[in-house]
Amino acid sequence: MKITTEDIPKGKLIMISGEIDMHTSPALRDVLMKLTKKKVTPIIVDLLEVSYMDSSAIATFVEALKNMMSYKGSLRLCNLSQRVSEIFTFAKLNKIFEIYKTREDALKNC
Amino acid sequence: MITQSANIQEQLRTLREFTAIINSTLDLHDLMNIVMERAKSELGAEACSILFYNPQTNKLEFEVAICDDEDTCEILKKKIEIEVGQGIAGWVALHKEPLYIEDVSKDERFYSGVDKTTGFVTRAIIAVPLIGRTGLIGVAEIINPTMKNYDKDIFLNLCKQFAIAIENALLYKESLEREKIRQQIEIASQIQKSFLPSDSRFEKGDFLISATNIPAYTVGGDLYDFVDYPNSKGGVFIGDISGKGVSAALYMAKLISDFRHISVSHKKLTHVMSSLNALIMKAPMGMFLTAIYIVFDSKNGRINYINAGHPPFVLVRTTGDVKVIDDISGPPLGIIDYEYKRSSMILNKGDRLYLLTDGVIDMVDMKGKNLGYDKITDFFVKNHALKDLFGGFLAFIEDFGKGQQRNDDITVVEIMRR
Repeated sequence: MKITTEDIPKGKLIMISGEIDMHTSPALRDVLMKLTKKKVTPIIVDLLEVSYMDSSAIATFVEALKNMMSYKGSLRLCNLSQRVSEIFTFAKLNKIFEIYKTREDALKNC
Repeated sequence: MITQSANIQEQLRTLREFTAIINSTLDLHDLMNIVMERAKSELGAEACSILFYNPQTNKLEFEVAICDDEDTCEILKKKIEIEVGQGIAGWVALHKEPLYIEDVSKDERFYSGVDKTTGFVTRAIIAVPLIGRTGLIGVAEIINPTMKNYDKDIFLNLCKQFAIAIENALLYKESLEREKIRQQIEIASQIQKSFLPSDSRFEKGDFLISATNIPAYTVGGDLYDFVDYPNSKGGVFIGDISGKGVSAALYMAKLISDFRHISVSHKKLTHVMSSLNALIMKAPMGMFLTAIYIVFDSKNGRINYINAGHPPFVLVRTTGDVKVIDDISGPPLGIIDYEYKRSSMILNKGDRLYLLTDGVIDMVDMKGKNLGYDKITDFFVKNHALKDLFGGFLAFIEDFGKGQQRNDDITVVEIMRR
C-alpha cells in the first residue's frame, strides 16, 4: 500500500494505492490520526487505485470519522471500486460516510 | 622456507579449529563470544567487539565486547551506537571492505568518541564486515592486535564463515521465538473457543440449530451464540468483528460475554441490539461488529430478526424455494447511534435459515473466482432435499475453497424447523 497526501484549498487529499488490510491499515491510521488530531477538514480519500480493502480498513475510516465528529469534520471517500461500493451499500455504510463517485465531486465546496 | 611453511600449517590448523567452533553451536551468544575470545587470543589483541547493523536506524550497535576491563565492555554494550560511515567500523559497514590499520592516530577515519567514553586506548585495529546471505550483518573489530604476520586471506575466509554462522544462529533464534508465539496463540485459540457455546448444536421445541466456526489465523473475530429463553423462544446470534487476529479475538471474547448479559436482561430484540451498539461504540480503533440476532418462537415458527450490516442470510424452504434475505436493518454495531428496526417471517416445518459470515461469501476457488450468493443459492436449489443439508453445505464450501489459502474466518449457522 502507498499513501500520498496533497494540500487542497481547504483540508487534505489522501491518495491510496494497493491493498488496505490488517497489515497495511496501521500506516493509514497514522496518517488519518495525525490529520484528525489537527482537526483538518475536509479529508478526502481517493480509493481509485485500491485493489482490496478489508474490514480493518473500514474500521480505520470509522475511527477517523468518529474523531472528526467531535469537530464536525467531513470525511469524504471517492472512487470506490464496485466491490467496495457494494459492501458499503449493503452494510448501509453509505449512509454513514460521505461517498462520492469521482475526486472532482468530492472536491466541490473545498 | 621451513618457517613460512610451518606458519601456514599453523594458520590452517587455526582455520580448521575455528570452523569446528563455528559449526559447534546455534546459540548466538555462545557462538559470538567463543569465536571472538579465540580471535582475540590468536591475534594477541587487547579487545574485540561485534557491532550489529540496525537497518531501521541505519546505525551500528555494540552486540559483543570482549576486553580485560569489564566496565569498558558494559559501557560499550549499553551506550554506544555508531552511524554508518562514522569511524572505522562505520566506514567498513558503508564500503563493505575490511580495514587493517596499524596506527589509528594517523588515520582520519578513526573516531575517538568511543575511546573517550570508555577510557580505552585504541592504537591499531582490524575491522571486517560481516556479510551474510541477506546482506550486511555487522562489523567485527580486533583492537590492538600484537600478531602481525597472519594470512589475510585465511582471516577473511574465516570471517565469511563466521558471518554465515551468525546469520544461521539469528534465524534459529527467530524460529525459536516464532515457535514460542505459535504456542501462545494456540493457547489463546483454546481459550477463545471456550467462549463459543460448548455444544455447537442447540435444540428448542422443533427448532434445531447447528453451527461451525473455523478461524483463519488460529484465533479469529467471528462469533456465534445461542440463547435459551425461559419460554418457547430461543435466540441465535452471529457476528463478525472488524479486523482479524489477536485484537479481533480479544474483542470477540469481551463481546460474547456482553451479549450474554444483554440478551437476558433485555426483553426486546431492538433493545438488545441498541445496547450492544452503544457498548461497541466505545471500542478502540474504530472496531465494529456486523451481526444478526434472530429470536425464534418454537410455538409458532415466528422469526424476529435484526441485521446490523451483516451479510444477508439465506432462506431455504422445504419446497425448494431459496431466497437471500437482504433486508438490512442498519449499519454495523458500534459506528453511530441508530434505531434498528425489527423484521419478521414465519419458518414452516422443514424450512431452514443459513447465517453466514463474509469469510464464506468471499471464499475464492482455484481460478480466483468468488463463491458469492449466486453459487450458494444454486447449491441450495439443487440440494434442498438433502437430509443432512448442513453437512452437505459445509462439504460444498470446503471443496470450493480447496487448495486456496483462507484469509478470513468462516462461520455457518443453520436454523432448522423440524
